[in-house]
Amino acid sequence: MNIPRPIRIATTVMTSILFAVLGGCVTTPVPSAQLAVADAAVQHANTSSTSQDAPAELQIAIAKLSSARQAETNRDYERAIQLAQEAEVDAQVAELTAQSARTRRAAVESQDAAHVLVEEIDRQNHRRADQESQ
Amino acid sequence: MNTRMTVLVPLAALFAACTSIPEQNAALDQATSAVDAARHNPQVAALAPDELTKAADSLRVAEQAATDHAATATVNHLAYMTLQRVRIANDTASSKASQAVVAGAAAERDKLLLEARTNEAASAEYAADNAEKQLALSEQNNDRKAAELANADAAAIRNDARVSDLEMQLKDLNAKQTDRGMVVTLGDVLFDTGKSQILASGSSNITKLADFFKRNPARTALIEGYTDDVGAPSVNLELSQQRANAVMTALISLGVPAGQLATLAHGEDMPTADNATAAGRQMNRRVEIVIAPTSKDVVSIE
Repeated sequence: MNIPRPIRIATTVMTSILFAVLGGCVTTPVPSAQLAVADAAVQHANTSSTSQDAPAELQIAIAKLSSARQAETNRDYERAIQLAQEAEVDAQVAELTAQSARTRRAAVESQDAAHVLVEEIDRQNHRRADQESQ
Repeated sequence: MNTRMTVLVPLAALFAACTSIPEQNAALDQATSAVDAARHNPQVAALAPDELTKAADSLRVAEQAATDHAATATVNHLAYMTLQRVRIANDTASSKASQAVVAGAAAERDKLLLEARTNEAASAEYAADNAEKQLALSEQNNDRKAAELANADAAAIRNDARVSDLEMQLKDLNAKQTDRGMVVTLGDVLFDTGKSQILASGSSNITKLADFFKRNPARTALIEGYTDDVGAPSVNLELSQQRANAVMTALISLGVPAGQLATLAHGEDMPTADNATAAGRQMNRRVEIVIAPTSKDVVSIE
């Protein structure tokens, strides 16, 4: 070990900096907040109408939340955060898919109802016209 | 030198990760095209602009991560987030479009109902018009009936006028209202004692009576003869008959139909005055013409 002392110090400092930089990437804090948000989003989406109109999307969200928890348990916090964020957005997708399906049905029904109403009113008008012509 | 290398190589590697060209990532490509498609969908651009902006922001973060050579898992994660945000934008736009259809259908329904109500109201108005017309008709009927009633009233008034006219005519003859009807007494001035010949002095009264009967052809009259108690009752009865007949003959000769007249002899019965005096006996020698009341003048004459 004939390395001069100043260089040794410099190397130590640089190595410490390198570890500090890399360590910043690895040591992710426990993602309890992200998991809580995801959990709330999934619970909000987990309704009977969503499970009826968007069952696949809801299942993806639930599975993703479960994976996030598993990642947390495995201390893979980065992955846990990503999965939690995905679970949250999946839950929103499930809700909106169900809502869009419901409103599409409502639109079709109201259009049908409007047609029925038009026919009914026409029928009444004809009947009234018949009565008046008598 | 050796020691420099040990310091510089890790540092170079560290900075190189930040500058090199991003790797191709299938998930990122997919997210990019999804965002482009959503941007070019006018329904999404119009109805879910906020959601579209979030998706675009998410795509920018993913692209930046790819440019920064972030871990493939991270880029995939960010691409997935972008894809899901695009789905949210699409679903939101679709929901709003459907809601607009529902609202439009509701508006259309309201419009139709309003039209139907209007028609109904028009129909009701038509029915009301009809009812009004029928009312007007019945009013016309009522008017006609009222007019008929007025006519009837007028006829009644004319009847009254005729009756009062009748009374006026008979008044000239000193007619008296009795239970049996109007009675006109022709005094003994008409006849000489014991004779049934009508004197010229009584002829004006006879003429008035004849005019009366001719104007009132529905009137019938009983011509009753009376005498005083001078002489035998049988003679007096005969004389009263002859005098009644004389009056009837005179009336017929003046144009009164015989069917309107009849005679009755009373002789010396039913005197109207005392036969003990000459004046009384004169009053008892008489012919009474009893004009029978008709149903028409029962009311007005009573």
